[in-house]
Amino acid sequence: MQTYVILRRGGWQSADDLHEAAARSTAEGERMGDDVRWIRSYVLAETDGTVGTVCVYQATSPEAIRRHATAADLPVDEIVKVADTVIVRPDPAPVAA
Amino acid sequence: MRAALAGDLEDVVAGHGRLVFLEGEAGVGKTAVLRLFLQSQKATSRVHEGACDPLFTPRPLGPFVDVAASVGGELQRVVAADGKPYEVATALTHYLAGREPTILVLEDVHWADEASLDVLRLLGRRIERLRALVLATLRSDELTRTHPLRVVMGELASSSAVARRQLAPLSLAAVTQLARSTGFDPGALFARTGGNPLFLTEVLAAGGTEIPATVRDAVLARVARLTPGARDAVEKLSVIPYELLEVPADDLAECLDSGLLTPTATAVAFRHELTREAIEESLRPDSRAALHRQALRSLESLPAEARDPARLAYHAEGAGDRGAVQIHAPRAASRSASLGAHREAVAQYARALRFGDQLSELASAKLLERLSFECYLTGEFDRALEAQAAALEHRRRLGDPVGEGDALRTYSRLLRYTGRVDEAFAAAHAAVRQLEPTPGRELAMAYSNLSHLYMSSEDAAPTVEWAEEARALAEQLGDDESLVYALGNTAQLAIIAREPGAAERIAELFERSCAAGLDEHAGRTFVMRVWWAPRGRSYAEADEHLEEGLEYCESRGLDLWRLYLLAYRARACLDRGIWDEAVNAARLVIDDQRSSPMPRIVALSVVGLVRARRADPDVWPVLEEAWRLASSTGELQRIEPAAVARAEAAWLEGRPELVEAEVVAALGLARARHREWIAGELAYWRWRAGGLDTDPELDTHPEIEGPFGLQMSGQWELAAAAWDELDSPYEAALARADGDEGAQRRALDELTALGARAAAAIVARRLREQGAQGVPRGPRRSTRASPAGLTARETDVLELLAEGFRNAEIAERLFLSRKTVDHHVSSILRKLMARSRGEAVAAAARIGLLEDR
Repeated sequence: MQTYVILRRGGWQSADDLHEAAARSTAEGERMGDDVRWIRSYVLAETDGTVGTVCVYQATSPEAIRRHATAADLPVDEIVKVADTVIVRPDPAPVAA
Repeated sequence: MRAALAGDLEDVVAGHGRLVFLEGEAGVGKTAVLRLFLQSQKATSRVHEGACDPLFTPRPLGPFVDVAASVGGELQRVVAADGKPYEVATALTHYLAGREPTILVLEDVHWADEASLDVLRLLGRRIERLRALVLATLRSDELTRTHPLRVVMGELASSSAVARRQLAPLSLAAVTQLARSTGFDPGALFARTGGNPLFLTEVLAAGGTEIPATVRDAVLARVARLTPGARDAVEKLSVIPYELLEVPADDLAECLDSGLLTPTATAVAFRHELTREAIEESLRPDSRAALHRQALRSLESLPAEARDPARLAYHAEGAGDRGAVQIHAPRAASRSASLGAHREAVAQYARALRFGDQLSELASAKLLERLSFECYLTGEFDRALEAQAAALEHRRRLGDPVGEGDALRTYSRLLRYTGRVDEAFAAAHAAVRQLEPTPGRELAMAYSNLSHLYMSSEDAAPTVEWAEEARALAEQLGDDESLVYALGNTAQLAIIAREPGAAERIAELFERSCAAGLDEHAGRTFVMRVWWAPRGRSYAEADEHLEEGLEYCESRGLDLWRLYLLAYRARACLDRGIWDEAVNAARLVIDDQRSSPMPRIVALSVVGLVRARRADPDVWPVLEEAWRLASSTGELQRIEPAAVARAEAAWLEGRPELVEAEVVAALGLARARHREWIAGELAYWRWRAGGLDTDPELDTHPEIEGPFGLQMSGQWELAAAAWDELDSPYEAALARADGDEGAQRRALDELTALGARAAAAIVARRLREQGAQGVPRGPRRSTRASPAGLTARETDVLELLAEGFRNAEIAERLFLSRKTVDHHVSSILRKLMARSRGEAVAAAARIGLLEDR
């Protein structure tokens, strides 16, 4: 599998919308586990009040990511392949917590 | 898990068949869960079971032989008559279509032979309509990325009637519970066994104070505590099938008491395959060989109809018995081949050849030729070529000119498949020279082969010339196959050149092939009918033959042609803007190891283009692969799809300077062959990339007809209308992008709706540069993927459908041809999985497609 970053800018009206989407995403991700693995996401506070995400996935192809998005009804703006990972510090505790 | 399975069964009772893959690591308890579930259901449902063998080379159709024995009737007759996978699937479908709900259990399908996997695939595609719950168990840890079962599961993945259920190992809490009355530390026990129930059972049964390192150690510890007689019995049973062995009752009872063996309906079996493996591996090599010898002798003494050649070959190799391998492996191979289990046939022929250093020249040549043919059928083209080359050497030493000439002809065909076209021509001519002194069927086939090579290079005169030689000789000999082969080449040439009457010739050829029982040639006619449609995008007619062809090839196991047809579907969907479906069809071609380079090039080009148009990553690895397969062949049909895809991808990435290199060779070839559509398409990309300045005469060539020519001469409106008429929304949008601001804004909307992010960005930039207001900085916010993946145009058609308009009326309102609307409607029905227009509208309303309109 390859690692990809997926941009979903301003995809949801509210955090609640996003929570529902996350549940669908998890369910679909389990069904497609051979092709797609969700690693983590950062939730974006967009300037217009909507909510977006930057997601890190592992997948067998860009099409697999799109199939997953269609099945879970998630927007996809851009898929970028990750060439390397540089971890300076572990993720801080969740911002909202 | 049992609750989930019970839910699946309820669906079945309600009339919706289900295929469930029950997955988990070895020893996680799949069989145990299955047994409990079946016990609770036996009263209400018919149950049939089949299992796949853990043999290195499984017997063909193994699990369905078991099932047929308990089902009887038509299915048993088909299996007993060595039916092909599609015949078995059809008989099974008839049986499962009955009123009574049926549970069909297929155990350990990760070991299934190729023929069984084909049956499973066909069954999975029809399961929704059957009143059956098919439960297929498999070890998830055996499912490597290239495992053939994965291809089958991938193809069925989109069906809502197919589900995968994972069985997880035991949790720490459960392990703690189990360890309570023992002296083991629950944490250590959990860490070592990973919660694997089989491992845990073995550890607990072995006793002692230390936790064994592996399941194997735990099993052997348990064996070590048996009395010598019982130990001898399990060791023998680890190699020799129970029904061939007489085990003293006391010893058998002890083995059963120990839990190493469990009783089954008619015999006893190891508690788990891992148990058997552990014991077999612990045997000394000489005693293992002796046991294989004993099994071999016992099997050989059975009556002929009870002897399974795959088992005989397995034990013959285990016994190291050269003579027995020579007898049984080729038999097992030809049986596997005739049942459609070609991978198993390859393994059996290879087994025979491993022990074949004392064979005669002729016997070696024959084995190698059969190995070569089976490798070709499984898509192992390099290995097929290697075996055929070796066979050719043996034929040469035999001094048999006809055999050598015929082997050369086959060698030539394989060389072409792998793209070594120059060598293929050399071998084809050599075959003709070799055979001309003895005119017979072999020579007629050699003429046809040469004609085929010229046809593939689209070189008309010699195609006809050699086909004519073949036809004359074939008619004189009364040989159907070489005649049909020759006629096929010229008919295909007529299709490429768009000669009037070509379609009728192909239809006649189909009838003739069917009448002569030549399925392979009959299947080829479907490829002929659709393969050239992308040139000129005459999809409406070609589509009529696509579904029929897929059905024909699927139901006769003609996988080579089926994959060609799928590659065509990928290309046709790409051109009509149905990109998800294009990629799905292409993926089936790419993932299937049986795909030959030709359909593979098309599929790779489609995937690469869709990625490039969406501005997705990983464009070039697939396009490089397509180019690698195409570039050296000199065949336009291979080079053109790869060259066009690479030119467009380079342009979309803003690297127009690369386009010239991609198109120049293909353009020369297309011009030499007078293939105007392709020449136009290639010249168009050169023009797009700014190549007009470098060679004005060539690019404004008057012979570039159709929409490409219109676009290059600045008539974007006419070009867009032509593309609309050809149902090519992406190209129509690109044409409008060359127009005034209004047209450009429309193009931007259309490209965004298609998900064509790369071209949309180019158009947006163009608009901004012209000073247009309110153009977003790149189409950042793509809309959520349309449910069911309908295109913008299909959504328009759907709206009118919902208002009750007929196709002719819709055509009038949307300014489309009737044919185009027909196509949109059938595409909508397919995507919404609806059988009628009413159902489609209802489905669209349900998923919110019609809400906000």
